[in-house]
Parts: sequence; structure tokens; C-alpha cells
Amino acid sequence: MSSVTVERIRRGRIDSLRYVSFALSAVAAAAFLGLVVLFAVEALPFARRAGWGALFAERWSYRTEEFGALPMIYGSLAVSSVALAIAGPIGLGAAVFLAEVLPRRARIAGKVGIELLAGIPSVVYGLLGVLLLRDWMLRPLARWDPLSGDTLATGGVLLAVMIVPTVASLADDALAAVPRSQRWAARALGIGRAGAILRVVVPQALPGLFSALLLGLGRALGETVAVFLVIGRQDNQWPERLLSVAPLAAAGQTVTSKLGGSETFVAYGAPVHWGALLALGLLLLAVVAAISFTGSWLALRRVPRA
Amino acid sequence: MRSWLARGFFLATAISAVAVFAVLLIATGTIVVRGLPAIDRTFLFTATVGSGEGGVLYQLVGTLILIGTALAVSLPLAIGLALAATVYLPRPRLRRSALALLYTANGIPSVLVGIAGFLVFSHWLGWGKSWLAGGLLLALMILPAESVALIERIESLPRRYLDAAYGLGLNRSQVARAVVLRQSWNGLFSGALLGLARAAGETAPILFAAAVFSGATVPRGIRESPVLALPYHVFVLAQDSFAAGGERHLWGAALVLLCLVATLSLVALPSRLRAHEESRHG
Amino acid sequence: MVDPAKAAASPSALEARGFGVGNGARDLIRGVDLKVESRSVLCLVGPSGAGKTTLLRGLNRLIDLAPDLHRIGEVLLHGRSIYGRGVDGDSVRRRIGILFQQPVVFPGSVADNVLFGLRHGGLARRRELPERLERAIREAALWEEVKDRLAEPAASLSVGQQQRLCLARALAVEPEVLLLDEPTSALDPRSTEAIEERIRALRETRAIVLVTHDIRQAERTADVLACIDRREGAGTVIECGACRDLLSRPQSLELARFLDSSLAGDPRPLRFPAETATADLLAVVET
Repeated sequence: MSSVTVERIRRGRIDSLRYVSFALSAVAAAAFLGLVVLFAVEALPFARRAGWGALFAERWSYRTEEFGALPMIYGSLAVSSVALAIAGPIGLGAAVFLAEVLPRRARIAGKVGIELLAGIPSVVYGLLGVLLLRDWMLRPLARWDPLSGDTLATGGVLLAVMIVPTVASLADDALAAVPRSQRWAARALGIGRAGAILRVVVPQALPGLFSALLLGLGRALGETVAVFLVIGRQDNQWPERLLSVAPLAAAGQTVTSKLGGSETFVAYGAPVHWGALLALGLLLLAVVAAISFTGSWLALRRVPRA
Repeated sequence: MRSWLARGFFLATAISAVAVFAVLLIATGTIVVRGLPAIDRTFLFTATVGSGEGGVLYQLVGTLILIGTALAVSLPLAIGLALAATVYLPRPRLRRSALALLYTANGIPSVLVGIAGFLVFSHWLGWGKSWLAGGLLLALMILPAESVALIERIESLPRRYLDAAYGLGLNRSQVARAVVLRQSWNGLFSGALLGLARAAGETAPILFAAAVFSGATVPRGIRESPVLALPYHVFVLAQDSFAAGGERHLWGAALVLLCLVATLSLVALPSRLRAHEESRHG
Repeated sequence: MVDPAKAAASPSALEARGFGVGNGARDLIRGVDLKVESRSVLCLVGPSGAGKTTLLRGLNRLIDLAPDLHRIGEVLLHGRSIYGRGVDGDSVRRRIGILFQQPVVFPGSVADNVLFGLRHGGLARRRELPERLERAIREAALWEEVKDRLAEPAASLSVGQQQRLCLARALAVEPEVLLLDEPTSALDPRSTEAIEERIRALRETRAIVLVTHDIRQAERTADVLACIDRREGAGTVIECGACRDLLSRPQSLELARFLDSSLAGDPRPLRFPAETATADLLAVVET
């Protein structure tokens, strides 16, 4: 830099902090935008060759240039639905307990516990899944005679454990955001404790509670490592009947477990194959982003102070 | 509401809460109980022998290198973003969308970041597997959360400090330096620690472009300089879960990872909780 | 023929005996003895921080909701202890209603708000609701203003109307006693006047306890006056008696001081029906 410039900066005439901040922000924004663009661009060879719709076929066999990802989409949805079905009620219930029942000190301890749970790395959950959960699942699933403990259901249960802190923590925030005066006003009319919670607090916290579930779902859909380790990674497990339990008791594949697997290494260099995988990634990105944005947006409501 | 119904309701919520904490206990308890036997003075300071014996020295080193890089890269970016959002370009109507966007970025599936890194760093830049790629990718993952932590901290600063500074005729940058940055160390500190904790546990971003299972110690240079990493180590060993005798080592490695993440999170906790409660009852 | 012995012994609507509330670190109020008769207004006056609100909330067991508060002593509703073993706090609060300083309106329509306590407390049958709704709103002198707006959001009402809405809501569950915690301090003079007029009307059918920091309001509405102030760190009843007696001849230093500061800059003499007592009052204050 010339000495004139340095002097100008020193005198505060060139606002270096401002420009630096903007530059850094631009870099950050570019990185994220670049990611999205990257996926779109790399998916193009596949789109041009086979069309986006080819992803929604039932068979994935890259050697024969079949890129039907429906079984994986089913896998992702199935695993996440199981997770949400378990973690949703439990997370919401725990949140009500934390926000409405526990005295202040215990509540803080509870919040800490939940934050710690949320911080456990997914690979650790995966390990617990592999070495413990897999065997535990064999008995409940015995009716459907699974080949091993590596099933979609196992993945669902493991995911439930992983997203329950997210759901509980966000739901707790939503409940606590309802002003205390509302509870007092309800109790003052002679309405009991449970009544006040269910008829006054919960209805007003509903958007936030919904967003807790949404964000839990988003997390479940995007989880890779833990799911990878326990679902068996079997391709083309397209169920005969979509809404039955049987396919859950078999091994399967999710979008994330496919993307995180060795096929991704192999696919580079084969533009259509690579493009198909990245198209799949783009689909995942779009869905998770939409869910996350909606959930976050709902959770960021400014509650009017009553 | 009938009293038995009310009682059932509260019982259900209590059971849910107990379930959640039972999980915490079982998860951490299992790791501790099974991992502790593997930990002796040498475990942290010996390299791995073969596949699943010995210590985790270079995995720990690798993880520290990765998260250190991630922090060094992400923190300036987070500060820049936070300042731009709060001091230079605050637009109240966009606030909600902007924050939602940050939360969305925070929720990007990690495997996608890993694949992007594979493409850009391993292939386009020709780095093969590189520690720097891992650090940069992890930086991308933790950047949104750090930004949000910082933004929330800045927004919770009492307005009177800012009003006083502006009232003295300071321009925005001067206010930023004198008041905002000076008062937000707390948020910076806790945001950084949480970022580190998260980065330490991530596997998918480093899967393709940074980590190997064996054959690396301390990286030299950038190209073709992979590192070992604790989460990746556990990931690989967990797949090969029938390795006889290797289980003890595996649990030990998992315990070390857990302790690292827990320590980082716990140190950040007091300031995080304080900020949380402040914003709630403020 | 009324049995004179029974008449003499008939319990007050609401009575506090040796009532106190503490928060673990210190006592907030202590040794409160008060009697509220049916068809009368007891006014609690005193400086802020004296414990009037705490006392009020102790009278209908609303302090149960604050886990760090504990109480000693008794509160009797028609001679029966409300804190007794096995007494349900919720049913106490149905019989002793309360109005807060700031109107707290539930999201929902005007009708939803007024009927809230009835509906969710399971206190009335479906077909009774429209009639109870109208009755409660009329009692709060709000009917003419909202009769065409019953389905509109309650939040669209003005603050003064919202406060009367809260009054209607409290009245809908038909309490025997009504507690009012500075109900007009957030309102404009016109709404204040409307509420005070209601208080005088409601007095005919209920016992009312009114907390106010406005001595003129006490003058306008109260039958019995109690001065609450801190003695030895905790709020307690300094003086209690017929309103006009206390205001014309305050016996305690605390009340005199309170009157002095309340009337400072407001030289209008306190007026009572057929009585002007300025000279006596000023004489006492000057002492």
C-alpha cells in the first residue's frame, strides 16, 4: 500500500473496517452461493442426458445408466418419519415439563443437559447404533424376520435419539416465549395448571412448536454418518406397499447414505453418473433448505409483549 | 379439566423428560464405561498400531489442526458478517429472513459440503487429500452458527452505549471498534468454542477431501497432505465392527472425542446460558 | 326473624388473620389483619413497594404460582380458610376474582375472552353461554360498545375497553369477592371514570378490595380504608377504618405522610358528603 493510503487510513478517511467487513461478508456469501451453484452446474450433464425426471424411477444401477432414486428417497422419508414420530411427542412432552413444571434451577440444569445431548457427535451416535442398537432392535423386529439389525427402522430409532434434543430445546424456547402474564390471567380465572398450559400457553406457542418439529425433520433428513452405519446400505429396496411396516424391517438406503458412500469416489470422472449423484444432492439440498428456512422463520417470530 | 386427566398429562410430560435424560445417561455412560479401560497415560500420546490398536495421538493432532484452521478461517468471516448485519446494514424488515437464512445455512447436510470439497479441492485444485481442505470445509460448516451467536450478542448490547457513542459524533466504524467489538468478546468467545466443538465432531465434510485412516502423521505442505482425525477414525473402525480386540481401542477413541467436544461445549456454556436468559427476560 | 347472635357472628366475606408472605430471604408482608364485608369496598392505599400487590395476590391464592413465596397466617372466605388442607386453589380463584393493572387479553375474539373462564373451567352449559356473556359484559358497562363486535379480536379494543373486557371476564365466573390491583393506573381519565362507576355499582352485590395509589380514587370509591406500609422491613396494616374517618383524622405517621405526598400540589380539600375536614387534616400533617 502506498504511504498516502496508509496515512489516509490512519486518519480515518478510508474506513478500513467497513470495507473489510463487507469484503468478508461477500466471501462468506459467495462460498455458500457457490456451493449451490456448484451442485446445479455439476448436475447438468445428467439432466441433459437423462432428464431430471430420471431420478424418480425405481431402480438405481449406474452400470446400466439407471439412476432411479425413489428407493433412496423412500428410505430418507421413512427413516425421518420414524424418527419424528418418536422424537416429536417425546421432545414436546419433555419441553412442556421443562418449561412449565420444573422450578427455575432444575430447568437450567435440564437445558444444559439437552444442549450437551445435542452436541454429541453423530459418529458417536453411529457407534452406539452399531454396537448396541442393532442388536437391541432384533427382538422387536423379529416378526418381520430381518436379516440383521441393519434396518431402516434401526436408522429411524437412532435418528429419533439424535433429533430429540433439537425438538425439545426449540419447543422449550417457544413455550417460554409466551408471556407469564397469560398464565397468571388464566389461573386467576380458576383454570387449573394443566388447563392453563393446554388452553393458553400451547395454542400461543403453536408456530414455534411446529417449527421445532420442522427443524427436527430437517436435521433428520440431512444426517449422514449415523444413518450410514446402521441401515445396511442396500440399494433398490423399493417396497411393494409403501405404507406398511415390513420394508422398515429390512435394510435400505437413504439419499445421504448413498452420497456418503464409496460410490461418490468412484463416480467422479463419469459425467453422467457423477451428475446423477449431484442431482440427488441438489434435491436433498433444496428440500432440507426449504424445511430449515420455513422452520427457522417460524421460530423467529417476535411475540408481542402482553 | 378432570383431575385424573391433568395428572395423566403431567405424568406423560415427566416420562418424556425422563426418557430424554435417560438417553443422555445411557449414551454417555456407555461410552465412558467402555472407553475408560482403554485410556491410560499412553493412549493420548501413542500412535495407532495396525488397524485398531494402540493410541490415538495423530488422530488427536489431526483433529486439533482441523478445528484450529476452521476457527482461524471462520472467525474473521463471522465477525465481518455480524458487523455488516448489525452495524452497517441493519434492515429491521429483513432481519427475520436474514437470520432464517443463516439458520438454513447452518443446516446444510454435511455430506454435501464434503462432496463440494471433494470436487473443488481434491480435483479442481488438485490437492488430493489435504488438511487445509478439511479446515476450510469445516470453517464453512461452523460459520453460520458463529455469526448468529455474535449477532445475537451484539443485538443484546444496551442501546445506551451505542446512542452515547453516536451522540459523540463517532461514525459507524468507530462505534463498531469502540463499543460493539469491545463489548462482544463474550459472544465471540462462546461462538468460537461452540464452533470448535461442532467442527471436532464432524465426519462427512472431511470424509472425501481431508482425512485418511492411516499413513499420515503431521502434514507437510498443502497438496497430498492428509491428516488423521478422531471422528473419521471412529467412523472407519465402526464399520469394521467385527475387528476382534479392536473394540477397546474403538471405545477409547470415541471417549476421547466425546471428552473433547464436551469440554469445548461446557466451557462455552456459562456465557451462552447467560445470554440466553438475558434475551428471554430482557 | 333474624337471630341476633347469628347475625353478629356471621363471618365477613373475606378476612385475613395474621397473614404474611415471605420469599425465603425476607418477609414481604407480615401480620396483616383485615376484614372485608359483603357489599362494601375496602381500599388498600400506601406507597409503592409496600406490599399491596403481594397482599392482594395472597388473598386469592395467586401466590401459589410463585414457587419461592410461602405464606403464614390465614385467609378466610365466609369463615372458611382458603389455604386449608385439601382446599383446591383453583376453586378459590373462581370465587375470588382478580383484575390486574395491565389488561391481559387472550388472543381470540371478545366473546372468547369473556367466556374463557366459563368454557375452560366447565362451569356452564353450552346453551347458557350467550346469556352469561351478555350479562357479564353489561355488568362491566361494555355492552353498548362491543355488542356488534363480539367476534372481533379482543386486541382490537382500546386499552380502556380491554380493561373492562378483563372485568367482564372476571365477572363471568361470578365471583363473590373481586380484587382489583390498581385497575385504572394505566388508563385515561374517561376509562378510569367508567371503571370507578362500575366499582360503585358492583359494590351492591359483592365484596370488593381495591388497591390504589390514588388517594382521590379511594375517596371516591371506598367504604373502608386500610393503609399499608413497611414496618420493620415488611408491609403491614398501619391503620384501618372507615374511609372518611381515616382521611380526615389520620392516626399514624405513615398515613399522614402518604396523604401529604399524594396531595402535594393538589390543594383541593378532600370532600366527603356533607363534610369538609381540611383544617383538621392539615393540622395533623403539620405535626
